[in-house]
Order: sequence, then structure tokens, then C-alpha cells
Amino acid sequence: MSITRRDFLKTSIAAATAASVGISLSPAAKAAAGKIDKDWRWDKGVCRFCGVGCGIQIATKNDRIVATKADPDSPVNRGLNCIKGYFNGKILYGEDRLTQPLLRMKNGKFDKKGDFMAVSWERAFDEMEKQFKKAYTELGPTGVAIMGSGQYTVQEGYASAKLMKAGFRSNNIDPNARHCMASAVAGFIQTFGIDEPAGNYDDIEHTDTMVLWGANMAEMHPILWSRIADRRLSNDNVRVVNLSTYSNMSSDLADLEIIFKPQTDLAIQNYIAREIIKRDAVNWDFVKKHCVFATGPYDIGYGMRDNDKFAFAAEKDTQAKQNKIKLDADEAIAQRRKAGEQVDQTNSGSAGKHWLIEFENFKQAVEPYTLDYVAELAKGDTDESLEQFKAKLKQLADLYIEPKRKVVSFWTMGFNQHQRGTWVNEQAYMNHLLLGKQAMPGNGAFSLTGQPSACGTAREVGTFAHRLPADMVVMNPKHRAMSEDIWKLPANTLNPKVGSHITKIMRDLEDGSVKWLWVQVCNPFQGTANANHWITAAREMDNFIVVADAYPGVSTKVADLVLPAAMIFEKWGAYGNAERRTQMWREQVPPPGEARSDVWQVLEFSKRFKLKEVWDEKSIPGLKDKDFADNTLPDVLDAAKQMGYSADDTLYDVLFANAENKKFKWPDPIAKDHDNHTVAILGDGWFAEKALFEEYARFGRGHAHDLGPFDLYMHDDVRGLRWPVVDGKETTWRFNEKYDPYVTKGSGIEFYGKAFKALPTGDLNGVTGKDKVDLSGKAKIFFRPYAAAVEQPDENYDMWLCTGRVLEHWHSGTMTRRVPELHRAVPAALLYMHPRDADARGLKRNDVAWLESRRGKIKAVVETHGGRNRMPPGTVFVPWFDEGVFINKLTLDATCPISKQTDFKKCAIKVYKA
Amino acid sequence: MKTKIITITLAACFSGLMTMAQAEEGISDSEVGLSKESVFETPTPSAFEYKGVMPGTDPIYDRAYPGAPPQIPHNIELMTPVRATINYCMSCHGNAEEVGKQLQGTPTPIPPSHYTDQRNTPDKVGKKVVGARYVCTQCHVPQADVKPLVNNTF
Repeated sequence: MSITRRDFLKTSIAAATAASVGISLSPAAKAAAGKIDKDWRWDKGVCRFCGVGCGIQIATKNDRIVATKADPDSPVNRGLNCIKGYFNGKILYGEDRLTQPLLRMKNGKFDKKGDFMAVSWERAFDEMEKQFKKAYTELGPTGVAIMGSGQYTVQEGYASAKLMKAGFRSNNIDPNARHCMASAVAGFIQTFGIDEPAGNYDDIEHTDTMVLWGANMAEMHPILWSRIADRRLSNDNVRVVNLSTYSNMSSDLADLEIIFKPQTDLAIQNYIAREIIKRDAVNWDFVKKHCVFATGPYDIGYGMRDNDKFAFAAEKDTQAKQNKIKLDADEAIAQRRKAGEQVDQTNSGSAGKHWLIEFENFKQAVEPYTLDYVAELAKGDTDESLEQFKAKLKQLADLYIEPKRKVVSFWTMGFNQHQRGTWVNEQAYMNHLLLGKQAMPGNGAFSLTGQPSACGTAREVGTFAHRLPADMVVMNPKHRAMSEDIWKLPANTLNPKVGSHITKIMRDLEDGSVKWLWVQVCNPFQGTANANHWITAAREMDNFIVVADAYPGVSTKVADLVLPAAMIFEKWGAYGNAERRTQMWREQVPPPGEARSDVWQVLEFSKRFKLKEVWDEKSIPGLKDKDFADNTLPDVLDAAKQMGYSADDTLYDVLFANAENKKFKWPDPIAKDHDNHTVAILGDGWFAEKALFEEYARFGRGHAHDLGPFDLYMHDDVRGLRWPVVDGKETTWRFNEKYDPYVTKGSGIEFYGKAFKALPTGDLNGVTGKDKVDLSGKAKIFFRPYAAAVEQPDENYDMWLCTGRVLEHWHSGTMTRRVPELHRAVPAALLYMHPRDADARGLKRNDVAWLESRRGKIKAVVETHGGRNRMPPGTVFVPWFDEGVFINKLTLDATCPISKQTDFKKCAIKVYKA
Repeated sequence: MKTKIITITLAACFSGLMTMAQAEEGISDSEVGLSKESVFETPTPSAFEYKGVMPGTDPIYDRAYPGAPPQIPHNIELMTPVRATINYCMSCHGNAEEVGKQLQGTPTPIPPSHYTDQRNTPDKVGKKVVGARYVCTQCHVPQADVKPLVNNTF
């Protein structure tokens, strides 16, 4: 064959042969494309779906998207998309788009028991304001909340966080990303003192060995998987290992598949650590220079409520374990204790504390994790022999330890959605640090992320209950002062008390401590575990639920007010992917009807509040901080007046349309001929998305979180940039002097993150020396023990339930299930189970079964023929995209006690014929 | 759960063709979304089958738009999983020049783009399907015999 790339480009993109080669925006390519599709306007964008962050090209004509392409110039995906990615255009055009605000009404008035009636934006905001002020007056800043998203654009997340924290003085903003990567964050902060990965996707092309721990990348990160497939299939020396609790599509290309019992990944990693020590394979040069050893308390609970006041009768036995558990035989070995010992979970309120230990302590701690012990504990497929499983574990250790091998460990929800999620993240770093295989091309523990801007927005902007931008936190007085300086707020405007995480906001709705909620860019009433509680709380309690969305989903159905939202290419935005790459796009088409961007919604709502309503004295129950009177935020209005503000200024004037931001004028030549409906409707001539980005970027510049100027990202030749961006140059591998300008010259490797870098010393049982040791520049090698799952199969609820996504659908399916091609590809969520388990219950393929847990019951169609998921006996998998198979009615809302991220991967259910 | 009879279609309501204010009554939450029932109900899902029992028996699908990957017009249960050692898709759809002739039916041949390594040698069409495109089901999916949940106007 002799067809060249140039020939492809000359060919019509409609031709089958050029189907997935793509049209570049280089001038030559543009000219070639112009001949064929001359009335199509092409512009760069980024995929709406997962955390990979593939570049796409978008073609528009007459204010409609007519085609999209995988961007051949994007280093992430080089001209390839997954099946979802190809439908980035079509997701905008489901016929039931929300195009008008809808309010529950009876007789012309808001009524919680009423039906949805279309109302004007003004009427919608009137009711929203009235209900907000009612809750805010009654309960103060803690009585209101926002549920945000890892799918927020950077600017949306920034505007919402600023309105909540600086305006309403409430820290009750938390994203669905809490469910997605909070454990990864806690692992990064505790280990390195700074969030987000050292490496980048190029590690795939640099490494020999890729180990997947609870990351079914073939379905969940398909384009990274295509890079892994390419690396594996073109190099015989490369090895791919898939560790999972069931056999999945990632096993299909793997050289080694290890099926383990839920939660025992904690033990397997300690086995590897023990092998590293036993084989004298510790990289002492690296460890002595760059690492310390650390540990923390074991008895930290399971992130559930500490009382059973709201528990269903059947839930009470699981809930009771929040306060006290009986150690099983395996935990006793793992924690050097006695089996049957009753253990109070005394550290459930201080789960994150940790201290330094010596290497000898560490060595003693991993000593029980022998091959015999771990294999017996961890073997997840009863049909596999113990000897074979042992051989596999040994092979895994060999691959890590082999000195000439480079190793990358990848993980996502298997580690993050885990009752010991922070621990298991830290264990991944433990082994890479012991071996000195970290922060180098092809070597590193690489935490992947699930959502398109979980990194860029949720984490970097800090739309969490405890965070401020650029890794800062509300509890730290210096961080508050710096934020107050950038935001031009009087001292002590910001609330130092951590707000409610997203699962706690649900609990707050149930117990009446939150009465006003705004849901943005997510579908939390479908996506939060133990959903029966929360949908009931939304409908039955005295509260007001606002849901901004593009399509009606479960959250819309339980809302009191629905706001129609603009979708991705109907607004300007920026996303940040899992390799620290920030990418931007222009508004391509107008939103339909009266749908409007979330930025506009936040800014418009802020006009309804005067400083005197929010910056007076506020009650914060439980606030205790040396800079504040107990339970109180001070009145800062006098200080505000001295800064030139008036008590009658609105939050819009002060936080958003201020003199600094209004310097960014619209129109702006960077827009080329693209519109901006947000700016047009605001009507006061400033470029909100650019101003918000530039203001936000001030937080990170000079603090190892540097973002480039807005216009740089918009440049035609730029396909995103990996931060820190210093002098216009991106950073590929952090903490490595060769690549990272923040590393001190001459140090080689420097883990320069600043959080938790002064610790007391102790032994495996606790702190023994109170004096804090300075750990600047070093990473921590944590010992974390195996701990059993809080709820395990028993005689009644006899199977493990695991949930997750599928390749063809995004999250709760509200977008992808409206694309007929994707709906027909996977029309419903199936119950994947082992054929013998089905037989034993009188079930066969395509039968309808009941699935029941302590928390709820639903029906699903049985799939026993394997296909993409081959289950071991005793474990079932049900994806969560299908609102008709509402699996989160069954799941358990236990979380990692450190990160507060829910474990969606393990709880106990029973299955029987419907 | 009682279902209110409404005189206008949901699609019309939500696509803005007719404002809801014109409806005499509002619309109940059980009538919006993809499952037309209350969130407190437990629907009974239906089993589904993928179209095209055997390759070549059903017509091929139109692409969703120019440049979109074609859908698979037959059931792939017996041809998957795609493994490193064996890729059954290739045995019919692989390079016709290499295979020598088309096998059963008229399988759509894999295009030259799939023989091009976009990352390393974007100007060269090689002799093997590149690794990045080896797992066919990442982009190409079979289609079940079910109706769309809602129309799409793309």
C-alpha cells in the first residue's frame, strides 16, 4: 500500500478510508480540508467524558455541531477517540434537553408537592433567592450547600467556590469528585505534601512494565489503553499485569491477571514491600536521600455516621461497626493483634494523623505479610489453585523488583473507592519509593483520574469542603490570609471550619441541618451510595433542592427547581486532565432555548446578595479556632468599608465584576469569530471566563502550580500544557531536576511539596517523641496494614457487589444514553454473575433477578456468559449508568475515613429470582 | 403511583417547542427522564439481543456522521474478547491484500488509517494494524434491537 497521510487529508473526510485519520488545523491541512467542507468551521476542543482528556476537533455549521474528530495533533490521543468520544457532538442534541427553568408549583406558587411548571429565569431566581435567604437566616452558612463536579469547567468551579467561600462564608461546597479521587488526593498530600502525579502519559511509551491495580483501563481510560496496547504489542519485553476482583477487558491484553478478594490489595502490596526488603532490593541511595518512614493509627472507623438514628433496621449491624469491630483472624495477623479482640474505633475523628518511624519498625510491620499468609487471604477466585495464585504473586513481585525493569503502577476507582483508600494509595508509593522507581520517565506510581476536570477544577481550583485554590486549605491561617489578599476580602471573612463533604451533605439533608442545595454539573442523587435515604430526604424534608442540568435525570426528578444548563461546547471553558494538562475551548454553538452556562447562573445569582447580608456576624456551630470567637464568624463590614466597599454592594460587584476583572474586555480578538452567550447576557462588557481564569491563576503562580496565560492555551498550535508552566514551558516529570524547574539545582530528586512536612517521631504503636522533625524535600514511605471490609458477605447477604462504569456510557448516562448508537450498544445495566451462582439461584441468562442489600432492592437482567466481565463465584458486578437499574440504592455509604471517599466497590447483597 | 394525563407530548415540552406555561397543569417528576416513573419505583428491565446473528446477514449501518466509526452490524459474542493472542475481527476484516480474499459475506475492510502509527510514523502506512487500534471494540460496537430512549436531532 502506498497511501500517505497527505493523500488521506486530500480525501473527503466522508470517505471510509480516512475515517479516523482526522483533519489537522495546520494551514496545509486546513487548505486541503477547505476544498471539501468549505462551509464547516473547525476549532479545537477537548473530550467531555473521562479523565484522559483527549483532544478533539469540532466542526460547526449554522450554529450546529456537524462533526467531531479525534485531534491528530493532540499528544494525548493522536487522532484516536473511543466510542464515546466520537459522540461529543451528538450528546448536545437529545430531544428532551432542558430549555426552560422548571419550578414545582400549585396554584401559581412554589409548592414542594407540586408539579414542574416552566417559569422565567427571573421567577426561578426569585424563588431560589427567597428559599436561600430563609435557610441562611435560620441556619447560617452551614445550612446551605453546593454539590459541584469534576466536570465543572475551571471557571465554573472557581466562580462557585468563590461565591460560597468568599461570599456566603460557607465551606459546604463539595464535588462529585469526592467520590472519584479524594483518596488519591489524601495519598498525594500525606506522601508528597502536594497533590497530583509526578509523571505523565508519556510514561507508557517509556516503561517496560505496567501494573493495573483496580483500574479497568480498557473500558474506563480507553485511549490510554490504546497506548498501552500499542506499547505491549510492539515490544515483546513489555509486561502488563491486571489486578482486579474479577476478570475484565483489561485482562484480555494482560500477561498476568491476578484476581484478588475485595480489600486484600492492602495485603498484596505489603507482601511486595516485604519481598523488596527480604531480597535486599531496597534502593538505599534513593531512600536515604529522599524518603522517611511513617505510619498512623489503625482504628479509624469506616466513615459512616456514629449513631443509628437514621439507619434502616437492616442497616444497624453494619453501622454499629463504625464504633467497634471484632478483629478477624487475618486482621489480627496483619495488625499484630489477637483474633476476636474487640476494638473501639477511637481514631475515627483523627484518622489522618501520622508520625515518623524507623526502618526497623517498618520492617517489623511488613514481616507478617508472607507469601503463604497473603496468598491464602487474597486469592479471589475459588476455582484457582493456591499454588498458581502464589506463583502469580511471586511473579508480580519479580516484575517490580527486577532492577533493569521500569515500572508504572496505574490505579483509579479500585484504590480510590476503598474503605482504606488513602492507605492503599500510599502503599503504591511505598513500593515505588522503596525501589527508587518514582518521578522518572517510565518509572512511577501513577494515580489516574476519572472525570475530565477532576484534576483541573475539583482539585486544582479546590471546590472541596476543606480546600482553597492551589492546594491551600481553609484550616490554615496563612492560606486563608493569602486567599483573602487575592480576593480582596477583609481579614477573617473566610470560614476556618471544614464544611460537609458530599456524602455528609446528603446526611445533612436527611437530618435537616442543610435546607438549601444547588446541584451543578453532576447527578448526585443517582451517584451517591445508599440512595434511598437521600432521595427520600430531598422529597420529604423541609428543604429546597436546585438542580442545574442539561437533561432530566434522577437529580432533576427530586429537585424543586430545575435550571437548564448549557453543555460543554455551548460555553467557553477549560479542563485539566490526569497528567496535569490544562486545555481550553471556545464556545462553538449557542445553547438551546433559555439554557445558560453555569458561570452565568452563579454570577447572576450573586447579584441578589448585598454585603450586609453575608459579611455581618454569622453563627457557625462547632467553630473553634484561635483567630475566631467560638461558633462565630465576625462582622467584617467595617473592615470592608475601610477597603472601599459599601454594605450595599452586591456580591457580583465585589467578587466578580470588580475593577480588576473588568479590565478583561469583551470582545477579545482571541475569540476570533466565536460568541460568548455568558458575556452577552451579563451585558456589561467584561470577558468573564478569561478574567476568572487569570484571577484564579494568581493562586498557583510561584507556588509550583503555575498556569500559563489564558491566551497561550487558546493558541492554534497549543494542545494543552502540563503545569507547572514556567516561562511558557510545561513540566513533564515533577520532582526531577532534569524536567522540573522547582527542584533545587544539584539535588537530582526533590519532593518539595510543603504539607505535613514536620512530624513527631514514634513507633508502630504511636508517638513517642513530641518534637517535630523537618522533612523538607522528602517523601514518606507509609506502613499501612490490611483491614477487612466493614461489610462482607454472610449467610443472608451472601455475595459481593461491585459497581462501576462501562466503556460506552458516561457516568449516570444522562448524555450518552441519549445517543442512539451508544444506547443500542449497551441498552441497560446487566447483572454480571458466575454461571454457577446463577444456577444455584435458579437463574439463567436474560432472566430478571432481584438484587437486595440491607439498604434497598432493585431488579436487573442476568448476564452469565461473561463477555466483558467474567465474575468469580461469589461476586457480582452491576454498572451504575442506568437509572432504571438504580444500583446505588444498594451500595453502602462507608468511606475512607481520611479522604471521605465512598467505597462503591464492595458491599454485601443477595440475588434471587424475580 | 398515579400518572397524570397530560395533553402535550413530553418532547414538545422539553425541547422548547411549546412552553410548559401553556400546559394547564405542570408535569410530574415521574414523567421526565429516561425512566418514566418515580425514583421510588422499581422498574422491571427487559432483556435485549444484538442484531445480526451471523456476520453478513444484516445490512450495514449508516455512520452517525462523516468520519464517525461504523457500528458493527452483527453479534460479536463469539468473536470477543479481543485478546493479544487472537483477534477474530481481523480474520474477516483484516487487510484484504494479506488475507488474499474476502471471507464470508462482504466484510468492511479495515482502512489504511488503522495501519498508520499516528504517534511515531504518521506518514507511513504499515503492514500490520497498529497496536493503538488493535482493540476494535473501543470504537466499534454492535447494536441491540432496541428503540432509542429519546430522539436525537444531531
